[in-house]
Amino acid sequence: MSDQSKYHQQKQQWETDVEKTSKRFPERKDDFVTSSEISIDRLYTPEEASSGTYEDKLGFPGQYPYTRGIQPTMYRSRYWTMRQYAGFGSAEETNKRFRYLLEQGQTGLSVAFDLPTQIGYDSDDPMAEGEVGKVGVAIDSLKDMEQLFDQIPLDKVSTSMTINAPASILLCMYIAVGEKQGVPMEKLTGTIQNDILKEYIARGTYIYPPKPSMRLITNIFGYCQTNVPKFNTISISGYHIREAGSTAVQEVAFTIANGMAYVDAAIESGLEVDQFAPRLAFFFNAHNQFFEEVAKFRAARRIWAKIMKEHYQAENPKSWKLRFHTQTGGSTLTAQQPDNNIVRVTLQALAAVMGGTQSLHTNSRDEALALPTEDSARIALRTQQIIANESGVADTIDPLGGSYYVESLTDKIEEEVNDYLERIEKLGGAVQAVEDGYMQREIHQSAYEAQKRIESGEEIIVGMNEFRIEEEINPDLLRVDEALEAQQIEQTKNIRESRNQQLVDNCLDNLKEAARQEKENLMPYILEAVKAYATVGEIANVLREEFGEYTGM
Amino acid sequence: MKKQIRALIAKPGLDGHDRGALIIAQALRDQGMEVIYTGLRQSPVQIAQAAIQEDVDVVGLSSLSGAHKSLFPKVVQALKDKGAEDIPVIGGGVIPAEDIPYLEDQGVAKIFTSGTPTEEIAKYIEKMVDPESSLVAAPKKIAHIGIAVKQLEAALPFYQDVLGLKLENVEEVTSEQVRVAFLKIGETRLELLEPLSEDSPIHQHIEKRGEGIHHLALEVDDISERLNQYKESGVALIHDTPKTGAHDSQIAFLHPKAGHGVLYELCQHSEKE
Repeated sequence: MSDQSKYHQQKQQWETDVEKTSKRFPERKDDFVTSSEISIDRLYTPEEASSGTYEDKLGFPGQYPYTRGIQPTMYRSRYWTMRQYAGFGSAEETNKRFRYLLEQGQTGLSVAFDLPTQIGYDSDDPMAEGEVGKVGVAIDSLKDMEQLFDQIPLDKVSTSMTINAPASILLCMYIAVGEKQGVPMEKLTGTIQNDILKEYIARGTYIYPPKPSMRLITNIFGYCQTNVPKFNTISISGYHIREAGSTAVQEVAFTIANGMAYVDAAIESGLEVDQFAPRLAFFFNAHNQFFEEVAKFRAARRIWAKIMKEHYQAENPKSWKLRFHTQTGGSTLTAQQPDNNIVRVTLQALAAVMGGTQSLHTNSRDEALALPTEDSARIALRTQQIIANESGVADTIDPLGGSYYVESLTDKIEEEVNDYLERIEKLGGAVQAVEDGYMQREIHQSAYEAQKRIESGEEIIVGMNEFRIEEEINPDLLRVDEALEAQQIEQTKNIRESRNQQLVDNCLDNLKEAARQEKENLMPYILEAVKAYATVGEIANVLREEFGEYTGM
Repeated sequence: MKKQIRALIAKPGLDGHDRGALIIAQALRDQGMEVIYTGLRQSPVQIAQAAIQEDVDVVGLSSLSGAHKSLFPKVVQALKDKGAEDIPVIGGGVIPAEDIPYLEDQGVAKIFTSGTPTEEIAKYIEKMVDPESSLVAAPKKIAHIGIAVKQLEAALPFYQDVLGLKLENVEEVTSEQVRVAFLKIGETRLELLEPLSEDSPIHQHIEKRGEGIHHLALEVDDISERLNQYKESGVALIHDTPKTGAHDSQIAFLHPKAGHGVLYELCQHSEKE
């Protein structure tokens, strides 16, 4: 008898015994399922965890298909990058928070921009009213960017920027600041999010229609592969898809489908897959269901490696590796009993580390209520430092690898993601699926079902629908100074008056002309305009006139 | 038939987080309302225009970007400017509690904070749009039938052994000076009540009429508001505010003359059950 059928028989015998016991001690639920409705067995044995060979499915860290991790040493050489997303109010204020976080041992920067900046409006645009400096720092011109990185040497830190539709403008500003500091662009390291498809799906900060937006993205790929070779040119993001209410499976499926759309677009624009693919990065969420999350990260690595190697026939192993940043799940935080959020964040951060993340942002306890205070942001960073330095989980690679349950879940997630990828391909690829609203509908359906489970009490959220207390939900919150908007408008007005207007006009005219030539790479034109202190809004508006605006579904 | 409520759900400003807005929209639809969702990036004036054009009964705003203090009052103002101040505005999102008084002061009717069940929002809207409508919500079922007995131990053998009903629990309700036993029957229960002292209303009942059926308990929501409404419409009450009954439920008795000789108890169970 083979080992397989032996386990199978023994397990069936055991299940029969359990049925008897469970008559006296009934189980808590009839069906146990993960967030993605994957059904969870009572027990996992070698039977469930052993389809395929070890080499094919798992392999070794740093080796294809990278299920166990993308580096051969993982956290035994260096911990993940602790990268806290921050930004609010003015560039000056945010610069202070950055320097505080660096002093506290943070190892990379992550810039949050305010909504007008993310949608290409200057602070004095009527559309910006009420939003200036609220969810991030307001950047209008290069002047603001210079203040943002004042006394922060750009050759020493890597900077991640959550910027999408106007990513090219902000990257050019970063390049220009580096130049002023004497740091050449080939030395700059960091990431721009630059993932427009998930903006249409889930996050909402789009400007232009999909086609010209894809052009801007491939322009960045093309420019950076020769000029800014150490910069990650995109961070293909499942984070916001999950926040919008998707399941773990949908998060991975839609992200990878988007990733494939970018690869297709870049190849179509004439780039070689092995030249840009090594600079593609990913960004995932970490929610509470611990094992499902760990399995999700492992499955995502394996799926991407196979797609890059088999489908796109990339030859450079760097093109096969799915490198990712993780942020803990904002939508899992509760406004009620906010200190409980510290515990949620710890569990989620642990899942990200067990899943082999390259960098991590841990949310602050007060983020269901406002932007974090300095105290809350420090606790969030300390959470990562405790996991790294005290728990010992980083001392061996992929410690959950080989768990019957985790391997079985990893397989199951891979299978379900592949089903989705097939469906999306049949719809004509991710861009088409987004335009048809397919992903949006799938996500909304999952979000609504989750809400109903919470309201019926089927799903318990501690402190919210169970274990409640009478409390004043009013801790000390960070407030963005309401006077900031006027100050920012004033500063931008001064810039407009003091710069060489003739030069700005020329730069913008040149950009306009280049935008009309489909084959032209717009990056050099944007860089020139930025250096002349043309504003984010002015540059974005030139392209609005040429490309039109996306108005939603 | 009741008029169908029309609601406009809107996202003012640049915020792109529409999970909450979409969930509220669908939940209100499931409650039978007609819902129009504006989509992202609407200016206060656009929202007011849409509200008037669509002839809605209520406008619901959602913002998670911190711009609520500036944008919500502007929607109220824009409605006023167009002579539509009768359309109430409610809101939600990431809104610190300390901002709520300011927003209400500016004319926002109500702010729902994170974690509010969607059903509560729907009920609020229904009541706001049609204050009469909530009067008619009928009690859901008979929570139990109360039977006065001299002694539980003497009565239980009939119920447990002869009828074969399952005894759920026995507890003392000090406020009524009784010891009670609950027996489950179908979706409802029998409640046997034994007086603990001569002050107990059950003691007085037995003295006057002997053992027998004492009251019917009706399962309800919103017991306090219901009592207020009953009181306003002149229903005779024994208790005009709820008190704690068995299982930590909230209870109140109507006067028997209201029920034409039947003593009714209103009963709202705590959520744990």
